[in-house]
Amino acid sequence: MNRILEKVIHQNGTIVDRILSEHTIGYVVSDNTANAVAETSFDNTSAQAILKHLHGLLVSTCQSVVRDIDPSNKLCFMRLGTRKFEYLVAPEEYFTITVVQ
Amino acid sequence: MSAEIEDLLKRYQNYPNVSGIIILDPFAIPIKTTMEYTLTVHYAALISTLTYKAAKMITNLDASNELVTIRLRTKVHEVIVLPSENYIIIVVQNPGT
Repeated sequence: MNRILEKVIHQNGTIVDRILSEHTIGYVVSDNTANAVAETSFDNTSAQAILKHLHGLLVSTCQSVVRDIDPSNKLCFMRLGTRKFEYLVAPEEYFTITVVQ
Repeated sequence: MSAEIEDLLKRYQNYPNVSGIIILDPFAIPIKTTMEYTLTVHYAALISTLTYKAAKMITNLDASNELVTIRLRTKVHEVIVLPSENYIIIVVQNPGT
């Protein structure tokens, strides 16, 4: 699975660089099947916290909400604005990507 | 209070692409809406639960942090949730990307 991730990152190198060069504090990429951190710039504790709360709990809740409102609809992207930073979450089929800025 | 809500409604309604606005009180009861009633109740129940969950989660991640806004981009439309002290404002829009 991590081989797929490396391939995707390599193919979208310019996009990854652009995302990371702006006012970005860090990012977490997690594997959906294993519920594990695939790649991150945070330390392990912060990455695990984001994985458990954001990817595990909130993404599934948001997906359920969107599906309940319209069964043909699908969650594509999510932005959580807080007082200190903003979490940008992109749930994909195999990975969930979070950027904190 | 009511005049404040009217001002909010007018301000957000003027934006292009906005297809619906709902304003809830802290108990997730719709106060004002520009959408159909059944759809309003549906949104109110689901989005309010999501908002409370998200607020609690943000506090869990960082105790001194606080939820300000949620944006859910879906295939069809975009839902923007603005929780504040006295109401929750839900705006549904169709971004033309």
